[in-house]
Amino acid sequence: MGRYIIRRLLQALLLLALLSVGMFLLIHALPGGPEQVIFNPRLSAAGRAAIRARFGLDQPLYVQYIRWLGNALTGNFGFSFVTNQPVSDLLVERFPATLQLFSLALVLALILAITIGVISAVRQGSLTDYTLTTLSYFGIAMPVFLLGLFAQDIFGVWLHWLPVSGSATLGYSFDPFNTFLDRLEHIILPMLVLAVGFVAGWSRYMRASMIEVTKQDYMRTARAKGVAPVPLLIRHALRNAVIPLITVVALEFGQVAGGATITEGVFAWPGMGLLFLDSLTNRDFPVLLAMLMITAVFVIAFNLIADLLYAVMDPRIRYS
Amino acid sequence: MDISERLNVTSTQEEIEPFLEVTPALVQKRRSQGRIIFDRFIRNRVAIVGAVFLILLFLFCFAGPIVTTHNQPDQINVTDVSQTLAGPSWQFPLGTDDTGRDTMARAMAGGQVSLLIALTSMLVAIILGVSIGAFAGFYGGIVDTLLMRFTDVILSVPLYLLLFVLSASFTDGTPRSVILLISFFGWQYAARLVRGEFLSLREREYVLAARTIGARGFRTMFRHILPNAAGPIIVNATLLIGVNIILESVMSYFGFGIKPPNSSWGTMVSDGQSTFDVDALLLMVPALLIFFTVLSVNLVGDGLRDALDPYMTER
Repeated sequence: MGRYIIRRLLQALLLLALLSVGMFLLIHALPGGPEQVIFNPRLSAAGRAAIRARFGLDQPLYVQYIRWLGNALTGNFGFSFVTNQPVSDLLVERFPATLQLFSLALVLALILAITIGVISAVRQGSLTDYTLTTLSYFGIAMPVFLLGLFAQDIFGVWLHWLPVSGSATLGYSFDPFNTFLDRLEHIILPMLVLAVGFVAGWSRYMRASMIEVTKQDYMRTARAKGVAPVPLLIRHALRNAVIPLITVVALEFGQVAGGATITEGVFAWPGMGLLFLDSLTNRDFPVLLAMLMITAVFVIAFNLIADLLYAVMDPRIRYS
Repeated sequence: MDISERLNVTSTQEEIEPFLEVTPALVQKRRSQGRIIFDRFIRNRVAIVGAVFLILLFLFCFAGPIVTTHNQPDQINVTDVSQTLAGPSWQFPLGTDDTGRDTMARAMAGGQVSLLIALTSMLVAIILGVSIGAFAGFYGGIVDTLLMRFTDVILSVPLYLLLFVLSASFTDGTPRSVILLISFFGWQYAARLVRGEFLSLREREYVLAARTIGARGFRTMFRHILPNAAGPIIVNATLLIGVNIILESVMSYFGFGIKPPNSSWGTMVSDGQSTFDVDALLLMVPALLIFFTVLSVNLVGDGLRDALDPYMTER
């Protein structure tokens, strides 16, 4: 098991190295790349050469890459072209909002998916099952941004029940309780929209897993030994059926750094996703490059965690 | 008397017929493999609903402008401002947008673009994915490892981030560049799938037999193994259409995909969002079209998966 972990870690590092080279080349290949953005069009040739020397853009590509990599490993991702703030400050500033939104949505989606999946599996073939399965089909087909738009329009524009964008009301300072309510109002819609996207796929997965588990022999044995239906379901069936779903959730959590981009765009939620969209429009390359790298690190890390988690939760899995 | 006379069997030809007459229920009419799959698909009511909707949708988008009078999506039809953002009427069944253009004509034109992009990028992605997966699965070894590492690298970055970065910089708003970009993201899953199928089918006896009589790599791959791996590929291709429609709409909605003067359902959604409180149809028409198209494609894909599954018993 230890050897497996070490091997996976080495593979992950190799992947990250390849990825960093790829991202670096990509950013340099983009039209309107680093050079065009910082140049004043009225700059003379000598001035241009001076700026290039200052930023190290006249060095060969691999030298630039090594300098960038060295900086990146110490957390220095350069300065934003738009705000001149250090990029790492921008990222750290925006990350909590995304983390909040994403984790709440994931937790809600997990609870809902397990509940719906279990109900569907237990009442397989009934009207409840049919309705829930149909709803999950709808949920899978509905793109996240459309659902977000509909939610905004119905609950915000028509009914005026909930605010349409942002994470807090500007300008007012409330006492702690009302601040909490205000933030709650703002987070509900994006959280629900994000959660629905997850629940649709996960509940079907949970249902299939549950059906497969209840057909096993050990379930029949436990029932024959006199375990009551409800503890049977929870202690014996659920515990085994939930393992693959937890792995999927762990994998999905790896998308935290960029996974809510569309939802944040639709609801103007001030997180990493919105930062990404804004820097894309402004061609703010240091931020883009840093975000691509950070998200890749998260994805690769959580892939490894998900695999290890699966091995921990299911002792039948043996890794060489 | 020999045995044939004792059994009252007259000739080899007539042997078969009396048997059929006596026990017709036991003998099934011979059907080809395709026919069997087709029959199983037809029996799936939900999949048929999806397929019918898709056929109607294609007729609406591609034959609609020819058959009906709604074939000028860019023509400004109104003479004064009060007629913009109009509701449904006989002349404009879906109303007009904020500059007076016919929404139904725009829906048809946008549908042509969206569907064309989805189908073409699916084809390109499948061709690319199948080729790469076939090579990786059949030859194995270092080729396999290299190709799969390459896929892993691309899959490590969240899809939308990479998609947006590439689309903001490399596309110019025409359908062709969008097609190329979306197919770049579509081939990986097909490649993985095909690689898995080839790895397992490679060990079958008919592959050994083919090699014994002299078939070389390409021929074995595409003439012998691929037809047997076709089932999952077809299902994946169908579901990929739905994914592509969503990808294209998201990109166009945020302004990174199809750009004016071209329009697709995604751009119509972003246009309609700003006037939602006045005229809800502008947002609802393209949004619901996208939703129902993806839903039907998913239903058809699931129906195909059930029909092609060799382990499902006849219902």
